[in-house]
Amino acid sequence: MSRSGRIAIVLGLLACAVFMIVWVAMNFVGSEPGTVSYLTAQAPGAPVHLVMQTDGVVGTGAHPTWVSYRIQTPKTHVFVHTALVELPANSMIDVTIYQFDSGSPLRNQFFGRVTGTIGQVAKLNGKTFKVLNSYDTPNGQGVGHTFTVPSLNINVPLEGNNTSKPTFCTKGPCSPVTQEHTTTTFAFRTPSFSGNFRFQCFIPCGAGHYAGNAGPMQTLGYMGGFLEVRA
Amino acid sequence: MTVDVAEPEAAHAGAVPPPGRAATGRPAWLGQHLGTAVLAGVGGYAFGHYLGNLIASGYVRVVTAAWNDVAIVLGLLFGILGWLAGIGAFNYALAKLAGREPVHADDPPNWTKYFRYSVEHKTVGMQYLIMVLIFFFTAGLLAMGIRTELLSPTTHIYGPGTYIEIVGEHGTMMMMMASSLVVGPLGNWLVPIMIGSRRMAFPRVEASSFWCFSAGYIVILSALALGGFPTGWTGYAPLQNQGSAGMDSYLLGFGIVGAGMILAGFNIFATIVAYRAPGLTWGRLPVFVWGMVTTSFLLTLATPTLVVAIYFGILDRTAFTELYVNAHGGSSYLWENLFWFFGHPEVYIMALPGFGIVAEIIPVFTGKPLFAYRIAAAGMVGVGLLSFFVWQHHLFMSGINPDMRPLFMLTTELISIPTGFVYLVGLGTLYKAKIRFEPPMLFCLAMYFNFLIGGITGVFQSDVPVDVTVHGSFFVLAHFHYTILGGLVFAFFGGVYYWTPKLTGRTLNRKLSIWHFWTMFIFFNLTFFPMFLIGLFDQPRRVFEYASDLTTLNDFASVSAFCLGASFIIFIVNFVWSIWIDPKRAPANPWGSKGLEWQTPTPVPPYNFERIPVVYADPYHYGEADAPPVADLEPANLAFASAASNGHRAAPVVADAD
Repeated sequence: MSRSGRIAIVLGLLACAVFMIVWVAMNFVGSEPGTVSYLTAQAPGAPVHLVMQTDGVVGTGAHPTWVSYRIQTPKTHVFVHTALVELPANSMIDVTIYQFDSGSPLRNQFFGRVTGTIGQVAKLNGKTFKVLNSYDTPNGQGVGHTFTVPSLNINVPLEGNNTSKPTFCTKGPCSPVTQEHTTTTFAFRTPSFSGNFRFQCFIPCGAGHYAGNAGPMQTLGYMGGFLEVRA
Repeated sequence: MTVDVAEPEAAHAGAVPPPGRAATGRPAWLGQHLGTAVLAGVGGYAFGHYLGNLIASGYVRVVTAAWNDVAIVLGLLFGILGWLAGIGAFNYALAKLAGREPVHADDPPNWTKYFRYSVEHKTVGMQYLIMVLIFFFTAGLLAMGIRTELLSPTTHIYGPGTYIEIVGEHGTMMMMMASSLVVGPLGNWLVPIMIGSRRMAFPRVEASSFWCFSAGYIVILSALALGGFPTGWTGYAPLQNQGSAGMDSYLLGFGIVGAGMILAGFNIFATIVAYRAPGLTWGRLPVFVWGMVTTSFLLTLATPTLVVAIYFGILDRTAFTELYVNAHGGSSYLWENLFWFFGHPEVYIMALPGFGIVAEIIPVFTGKPLFAYRIAAAGMVGVGLLSFFVWQHHLFMSGINPDMRPLFMLTTELISIPTGFVYLVGLGTLYKAKIRFEPPMLFCLAMYFNFLIGGITGVFQSDVPVDVTVHGSFFVLAHFHYTILGGLVFAFFGGVYYWTPKLTGRTLNRKLSIWHFWTMFIFFNLTFFPMFLIGLFDQPRRVFEYASDLTTLNDFASVSAFCLGASFIIFIVNFVWSIWIDPKRAPANPWGSKGLEWQTPTPVPPYNFERIPVVYADPYHYGEADAPPVADLEPANLAFASAASNGHRAAPVVADAD
């Protein structure tokens, strides 16, 4: 074979290798969930209205049967499958979480307490509470999830949903207008400095996984997420 | 003592098939080769996956987990078996079982032999060489991904899950590669020739070791498609039990590479013990072969522990045996102990071949005998034996019995003594020498420089208080990169530049070789030395975010790492250009070596020697006016030859190979 033929073969193989490397790299780059930004959703200094939902079965993505958070975009009001949200620093955040998943008693009753919110309270379907006794919740449906940000000392238990109702959501995305859910609201203030603050559910809910701590519990964009505070 | 000079059965079974025809008489492309291995592997995976779904799709854990570990494990297992069957690894055994004579032929005299199940040790060596480079460059690209993410503490290319996935994949692939980096290519290619043997002791075992190793590449790479694994290369339980489907790829991939390591080690050890030429006493053994003896010893005895640990892990994930789950009566310490009982000898599986290479090469370029040859051999044996008694220093911070810490601190510090032997042998050889700064020698000198830093920081870390301080930080990361990349990989490239004229009959471009050396040496140090500081400033390993005041140091390390990566492009260009595109015939003995391998013609003929040589001396009598000949390649007077061997071995009965 001539030298030019050999060079052509090498260049051809190189092109294939580069294509494969770029293709794999793009897969990695695009593999993480997107971030919903609330940085410019309101006038400076005004409270941020953060709206989220928890779906028992997310219905889309790589793991359609997993439990997951969804976050509403501030402008189009669409629920996006992610758990990364950008928030302005030193701001009041009014949070609304629509809970579509079923509930159970807590393994650790400590996570039934509300902490880190304004007034150390939250509202369940409009009623203020400080503690949810997970064996005797107001609607008798246990606790579905907790919204917990350890580094900000925030913990809010979210009461479970009534699975016997015909409008119970069996597959996301779920609708807070037409489908059965509980609504929890609370407020907290973001720190004055930038930082990424992890939040997760403290009820092991990776069903089918060792001790429930794997799968969605350890995967970003499902039950693990970040409050990305920007100064 | 009878010396076996018989040719492998393959030699009797068939001659070289005519061009384009396999041994069976069919067209060669209809025979067994890489293509059939891929097809059978894919078929095996599909069958195993189907079987796993049949067995376990109803398990509660499977229904709710969104994947089926049983199906994935069986898929990968049958995929590996299919791969091995497709390449022809089972042909011999199956034919014997069926009572038929196996059909086998010598390698075809063209490049297609590298894509087949060859039992020719030189072909297997070249197969290994290409495969370890593929491993190395794949894992190297992942390292570039790691350093790209670490350019900024707050702006992310990917998230923490993907980051640990890439870190784990990089580490595991590098460890797999490094454990076979020298034994695979250079060990298989050179050992029979250096000991005057016509063959390996177990050629089919040798071939199987390579095809297990290459299967491991595909299996571990499949982890990327299955969601990766969150444990890093150490695979700690209970995270191992919690990990997603990529964890199955880790376990199967490491398991099959481990099987290949055992096969390779066993074969090389047996070959060196039983197939040395007459007169090649242990006191005359080339020091590179001493490196191979000790490495093979460790491969054979330490790696089964890894395979057992992996077997337990697979059982935990598929049959829910919970052997590593504390809450259910198991123990995560079991994995940690089994893994590191393999893992620390593994460190020396990676270091000893490098010692062997540099000790083999530096006498050639200093023109002096190897200083304290017996001390070098004793040092390697000492390192090999002591390496089984240090593993718990990896567990200082795990909550083990504190009373065990001083013991393992002491054994770890002890191992620096035989390591120092090997080091001092090198320095003694360099003392007052007129050094020829050829590319192989440059890499060897760099290995001593790098390993000094890696070794001394290792002694610090064996000390419990220091280990407690720097554990899990970039300091540890910098230390082991200095020993493995700075030590083994530099020595490997020294060996590649030194032996390529023998392996290929081609000369690598000297100017490009020197460019490769200097860029690799400078940017290696600029990449990893700052990591000692980053570690001392408390940046943890395997975490994608870090304190913003460490940005400058991290950026410096990242840019240096990109330049280090680019230095390997020089090597690839040089290798491909010099070997294939514009080949230049190499001189018969370009470095003026006395090694037995350089006394053979290039290319080395099948079965290496026309007649079994008789060895008279070790190959390190450089600069001696009355240096004895190393060996007689055409021994005519066997009685004389026997006497010349100083009576260390019984008179050889050497049959005529013709």
